Amino acid sequence: MKRYRQHIIEFGNLSDVPFWKTAGPIDLVYISYGLLVVMLVFVSYVLGATGFLPHDPQEINLDLLMAAPNTQGHLLGTDFMGRDILSRLIIGIQAYFLPGLLAIALALSLGTCFGVLAGFWGGGLDTASTYVSNLLNSFPRLVLILLMVAAFKPDIYLVMTVVGVTNAPAVASLIKSKIQFLKQKNFIEAATALGLKNAVIIFKHILWHNCRSLLIIQATLGMAEVILIETSLSYLGFGVQEPTPSWGNMVQSGANYFMQGKFWPSTAPALAILLTIMGFHLLGDSLNNIMERKRDQ
Amino acid sequence: MKFASIRPITALISKELAIAALLLLGISFVVFMVLFLSPGDPFSSLLKDQTPSAAVGTAAQSEPGGAVPWYFQYLAWLGNIIRGDFGSSIRTGLPVLREVIRTGINTLYLTLGSLLVTLLIAVPIAVFSARRGLTATNWVLTMFTYVVSALPVFWLGYIVIYISMHRFGLFPLAFGSGAQTWSWVYFMLPVFVLGLSNGTMSEVVRHLREELSRVLSEEYICTARAKGASIWKHSFKEGFLIPITEIVAAKIPFILGGAVVVEQVFNWPGMGRMAWQAAQDRDYPLILGITLMAALFVRLGSLIQRAVHIMVNPRFARE
Repeated sequence: MKRYRQHIIEFGNLSDVPFWKTAGPIDLVYISYGLLVVMLVFVSYVLGATGFLPHDPQEINLDLLMAAPNTQGHLLGTDFMGRDILSRLIIGIQAYFLPGLLAIALALSLGTCFGVLAGFWGGGLDTASTYVSNLLNSFPRLVLILLMVAAFKPDIYLVMTVVGVTNAPAVASLIKSKIQFLKQKNFIEAATALGLKNAVIIFKHILWHNCRSLLIIQATLGMAEVILIETSLSYLGFGVQEPTPSWGNMVQSGANYFMQGKFWPSTAPALAILLTIMGFHLLGDSLNNIMERKRDQ
Repeated sequence: MKFASIRPITALISKELAIAALLLLGISFVVFMVLFLSPGDPFSSLLKDQTPSAAVGTAAQSEPGGAVPWYFQYLAWLGNIIRGDFGSSIRTGLPVLREVIRTGINTLYLTLGSLLVTLLIAVPIAVFSARRGLTATNWVLTMFTYVVSALPVFWLGYIVIYISMHRFGLFPLAFGSGAQTWSWVYFMLPVFVLGLSNGTMSEVVRHLREELSRVLSEEYICTARAKGASIWKHSFKEGFLIPITEIVAAKIPFILGGAVVVEQVFNWPGMGRMAWQAAQDRDYPLILGITLMAALFVRLGSLIQRAVHIMVNPRFARE
């Protein structure tokens, strides 16, 4: 019995070859850049939480409004109220961190639920979950968020709940097609024949052994999505509100001074957004490429 | 195409139409529930600063049938919607349907134009990198699509406005006024900005490149090449048409969302700008109408995608 279980684990776990053996050099560059970005996000979250910053992010200095980079120890200059941009950039990641995790957790858990229901049992459940997915996909996200903001209140957690729920269909369809692919393999049939419980098959053999990389990829892409959505909402005035810094409202408030030729207060956070989102996208896409190539083999 | 092959396709497409109608019903229900569950009501936010006491507000509010259960309210509301009566905007008093159609046409120009821009840039890159593999030029172009997809769209908009003002002397105008000679260039700017940076370009490139290179490595393409037949003709349907319609239909909601921001930046009198205004004023009837109309756009897009799928390969309908 034990030997057969071992067998199932081995055959269920086709993706046990370490990824760097199948990845091309350019994928490795992308992945290391993406991991660097993820690490920087974590490090700046910790720096912001422990207050280990070059300047006080809320300290207003009226003598030094919109200073150019690298004046008087302000490495990235100051914004329209004389506050240090670098410190605000570092602490600005906090605006995304917990709400973003909420959105990702919602998207992954709801998506997994729907995906498993549709893929593992199929039939009416499949139809129902396809219907719900199509329903959620029909709303342009920003318009739905505006509707929610108008109906309830402009709160970042509410917005992130909407983002999470509307991201769920994408996860669900991925999980569903993965499960339908896996069900053609013998190991699930073998596991059923051995009398393993459905819960064990789903959670251990399907989700843990075969879907975890897919879920990680969706989580990275979800974080990029969260940052972009918050940025757009900040521009529209429904994002994180002013004294609390977020990258979105930094770009927005800096952009008001664009016409005076002061690019820097807006460009620094815009570049931060650009580099971070590119990191998440490249990480997700190249992990995805590697997985696809492995599946083809 | 013979008639015998068309008939089942019309049947399949009418089935898709029925599904779309069901989905629209669900959409209206979701929107109604949001409205129903919302704590504040439009009356209180409208009357907040205008009436001395809350009594007037509650009197106005309880007028049209106080104790009607929610499903009757929904059915009555749905009946009005089907008759084309979306109510009238709380702020301006104009009928919602006419306003939404008036601005929706502007948004349609913007989104379709920017979709065209996205495809004109993304498709050649994808096709070349599917045919030639990863060369230095392809890599640079692909990176370019990643960069523009990750930029905050309003920041790009401000840069474009800045450049057009300082270099070319074009000034932001009200939409439709032809006072300046080169004003039509200015009207092209939002289309280009949204087309570049609506966040879908890198995904279009990725999806099309993968599908096309998968199809190009199929055996029937190898056969076609050996026969000396056109490879492009043989790979067009499966490797080009289907991936493009798929990704475009999937990305329409994102482009509409980007349009909200771009319309705000460029003062484009579209649906997105009106949605923003309505969200600020908590103008429920208006934003409901806009949400329904936007969902209708999205459904229309995916209906076209399904129709193309079924035309190309009727087996898709069985899925």
